[in-house]
Amino acid sequence: MDAATLLYQGLVGLNVAMSLWLVAAGLTFAFGVLGILNFAHGSLYMLGAYLGFTFYGSLDLDFWLALPLAAVTVGLLGVLLERFFFRPIYHLDEAYHLILTFGFVLILADAVRIGWGGVFLIPPLPSGLAGTVRILGRGFSVYNLFVIAAGLAVAVALWLLLDRTWWGRKVRATASDREMASTLGIDTHRLFSVVFGLAAAIAGLGGALSIPVQVVTPGVGTAIIIEAFIITVIGGLGNLSGAFVGALIVGLATAYGILFFPAIELFLVYLIMALVLLFRPQGLFSGR
Amino acid sequence: MDRSPRPLLVLMVLMLLVAACGQDGAPGGEAGDGQAADGEECQLEDDEVRVGVQGSMSGAHADYGAQIEMGATMAAEEINADGGVLGCPIELEFADTELDPEVGTTNARRFVNEFGAHFVVGVDSSGVALALAPVMEELDRIFIATHAATEKLTEVAVFEEGNESVFRVSVPVYQDAIAAALVFKDMPELTRFATIGADYEYGRTAWAMFKETLSQHRDDVEFVAEAWAPFLTNDFNPHISTVMAEDPDFLFVTPWAGEAVTLLRQAQGAGVFDSIDVWWQAMGGSVDVLEGVTESVQADAYQGKLWATGRYLFNYPDTERNQRFVQTFRERFDRLPNYSAATTYTAIQAIRAAVAEAGSLETDAVIAELEGLQLPSPLGDEFHIRAEDHQGVYSVPVGRVVYDEEFGMACVCTDLTVFEPEEYYRQPPFES
Repeated sequence: MDAATLLYQGLVGLNVAMSLWLVAAGLTFAFGVLGILNFAHGSLYMLGAYLGFTFYGSLDLDFWLALPLAAVTVGLLGVLLERFFFRPIYHLDEAYHLILTFGFVLILADAVRIGWGGVFLIPPLPSGLAGTVRILGRGFSVYNLFVIAAGLAVAVALWLLLDRTWWGRKVRATASDREMASTLGIDTHRLFSVVFGLAAAIAGLGGALSIPVQVVTPGVGTAIIIEAFIITVIGGLGNLSGAFVGALIVGLATAYGILFFPAIELFLVYLIMALVLLFRPQGLFSGR
Repeated sequence: MDRSPRPLLVLMVLMLLVAACGQDGAPGGEAGDGQAADGEECQLEDDEVRVGVQGSMSGAHADYGAQIEMGATMAAEEINADGGVLGCPIELEFADTELDPEVGTTNARRFVNEFGAHFVVGVDSSGVALALAPVMEELDRIFIATHAATEKLTEVAVFEEGNESVFRVSVPVYQDAIAAALVFKDMPELTRFATIGADYEYGRTAWAMFKETLSQHRDDVEFVAEAWAPFLTNDFNPHISTVMAEDPDFLFVTPWAGEAVTLLRQAQGAGVFDSIDVWWQAMGGSVDVLEGVTESVQADAYQGKLWATGRYLFNYPDTERNQRFVQTFRERFDRLPNYSAATTYTAIQAIRAAVAEAGSLETDAVIAELEGLQLPSPLGDEFHIRAEDHQGVYSVPVGRVVYDEEFGMACVCTDLTVFEPEEYYRQPPFES
């Protein structure tokens, strides 16, 4: 196998990784700050896809407008979910978080089935991103390059926001000690709402980004949440850099697994997770 | 804060919840008006003919279950309006298999033990159908498969192992594999063959049969690459790049339903159609897939290289019976019927014919009538069920996907090749 094939498959893996990163980012971010493990995070992704379909595919809005609209709408829904449902159960055990958020998985899956029907949907590719470019002598989808760029952009934006702004400091302070932050005058309630809304908006963006290249069905949320969860476990629950690295590991393992070990490709990702749990149970990047 | 993430525990809870989520597909709706129209006295040992109908009713494959439900409903409505079966109405109950053998067998037990089903009909997944075969024999009820395609269901379970409870009215992988090989063997420019396969019984057995048949006719072909995708795959880019690294000119593609549409869209982006000659989408002749690719077909994104078939196509056969079926179906459901609708419709009609002839709901008596049954159907005026392996016999064309003005959507409407069933169905005793 020549180097070009290896490199090309790596680029495909990077594309897989960035799609997954957009889901894992919000999942781990919300957990890191709020301490809530949101099983419905995949459903927010699904909702973003359906809204993306409606704005871009049905209402015929510009794709560049449909993306932020879907993200913001899902973000606002996230704020409402946090305010009215999650806030009362922060102090309870994780199992309760899972059960409540799982309830929302079922509710949202049925809601989209009522709203959009049970048959899968897919709109046309946005015209500016529909083409193919030559990379390493082979065709590569322009749209996938765009997804890779979007994933990297979200990573950089999150890093700047959390590391370089005053608000980011407050978020980090609250994440490391909620009571102390509250004592120092940080409005943690409001901060939690914003953080959760932001996490939901990233999931919504990820969903809307998937719509021209993947059919959306009421089931996509549950399929993707497992992968996102594996990524966050590998990277360290609550750790954003960890989720980014975890997504890269899972994306590349998937791509190279299919190329080299087709018989155990599915198992490979679970194997990596098992090894991480065995030798570094807190994840590759521990601490939130 | 004192929160200690316990990933393993959390993961276990998560898996349990997913598993629990999978249980919500219990037998659901009912159809049939419970009364045969003309008030004739029911002449069977039970007061109605109960049929448990199951298919994939959720996720990317949900349209197949929906079409199974529509086909069964339409048949039951027509039969009940026409006096039922010896004066007894047909009652239906529906369930989602979730493409899971365990769920499928649980549904079947529930159908028989709680609903009192005399028959179980439907099933899209080969894995589910194979799991169901011994269970139906144990329950002593007849199962009529209307989509699941592995040849092992009829060749092995029925013919070799003698499981009399199992029938199939839909054409098996002979269609996906043998008919395709017979068409493409005659294109000498095709020499490098690869598959993006459905990573389960159906995809595996279809590819094996295709390779075997093609190799019997051509000694200059190479099978250069394989990539396998399980159910619920939404990112096929690694599979596409894996097979395209070997520069094939023919792709044998078996993921179906929404996954087929996703796969085609992702292949389009990667420029696959610039370098291959033929994309064989084995089950691409289904209505949901054709709807999903219509815009791309109109934009010529596949450059005329997309070939497909199905277990039935709404544009074939060109018989009065089929035209009436398609028209009535469109009026009733505002959709075109896909193959699972036509085959399930046929299965319910077969039940009526066999029970009426047997004059009884007794399993052995009905089996005897189903064996060799001649039943003019939308699938074909000559449709019949082979006695030896309980396989329905009719023919479906192989063709190229184009946009059609009349239907207002993509269809398998051009370059149609129709074989007689004898030319491509394997025959008992199945010695290759």
